[in-house]
Amino acid sequence: MLLMLNLFHKNLAKVEPFHQLKFLHTTLSRKGLEEFFDDPRNWGEKNVKSGDAWNIKQLRGKSSEDLHKLWYVLLKEKNMLLTLEQESKRQLRPMPSPERLEKVEKSMKNIDLVVREREIALRLLQTGHEKPVPGEWRNDFLGRTYWYTYKEWPIPWYLNKKYKKRKFYYLPHVNHFIRLRLEKSLRRRVRRQNLEKTRQKVLERKFPHLAVKSQS
Amino acid sequence: MATGARKAVYPLFQLGGPQLRIFRPNFYMLVVRPGVPQPEDTVQFRVSMEMTKVDIKNYLEKIYNVPVAAVRTRIQYGANNKRNHKNQRVKKPDYKVAYVQLGQGQTFQFPNLFPEKEQDTETRSFDDFKNTYMEREKQRQKGDPRRGGVPDWFGL
Repeated sequence: MLLMLNLFHKNLAKVEPFHQLKFLHTTLSRKGLEEFFDDPRNWGEKNVKSGDAWNIKQLRGKSSEDLHKLWYVLLKEKNMLLTLEQESKRQLRPMPSPERLEKVEKSMKNIDLVVREREIALRLLQTGHEKPVPGEWRNDFLGRTYWYTYKEWPIPWYLNKKYKKRKFYYLPHVNHFIRLRLEKSLRRRVRRQNLEKTRQKVLERKFPHLAVKSQS
Repeated sequence: MATGARKAVYPLFQLGGPQLRIFRPNFYMLVVRPGVPQPEDTVQFRVSMEMTKVDIKNYLEKIYNVPVAAVRTRIQYGANNKRNHKNQRVKKPDYKVAYVQLGQGQTFQFPNLFPEKEQDTETRSFDDFKNTYMEREKQRQKGDPRRGGVPDWFGL
């Protein structure tokens, strides 16, 4: 219970107390749909305080169960904020503290990353593959090379008419266009590098005292 | 398992195969105030486009612990008529609307999320300041009171 409380207070300003009283009989509470809305005390406020988003370093220290529960907490929070946003648009009022949405989205993305890291590690140890779906490098009919992931089909590839129409090879006349594409990418790379160098020179001219002193 | 059920590739289902389970769903659901008055037990939601009626029922029952009797869905097409400053068409996004009827005789009324709250001292003082400023501006525009409301344009 304490662990859960510590888990929640980082993102939410208020913690919902768990009803663990044995001798209290409650009727079917509409607690379910109330979770789509904020604490009634915050209705009508201009600013609602909230903590920072969850960092990846902080999340890496949590167990998978905790991350799973946190995901659902963040999902409910996101739903609540989206409801508030829509209602504020409807009532033509400013939404109180919209930065909460960005924080929740960032936290959810971070949780996803951490879980994916753990899955990849486990899969590498168990099977030796890092990708969940096998694939291979293939060429398309324009000469570009890309990673093709295998898809699940109920029939084998030689019975799949649409798949057989796809061409995973290119004819010799495409070589000319590959060459042009290569030249274009090289030119873009050189342009980017030159831009970086000129920007660096401008900065050094403006702030000579901050120039990195090379070891001679 | 299925990390983020939106934009995900689900395993192919064939007869006798396992039930698809999504462990950390990325679907959103938000309650909206109905434009047309709905019956007492009906709640109107906007949901992710990929959700089905069964998905919505399970979502509400498992995550929010809300008893659901029936779900009806429709997709609202967002118009593409507005134009921006470059005369390009700007599309309003499409969204799926779900009408959920609650079970066990529960009712729901969309609450007022912006009740009138009494202003604190900061805003009150700003309003006073604004009022005094507006009065002073009006006085300046009125002109000389000794002329009895006659504008300055007229000579003498």
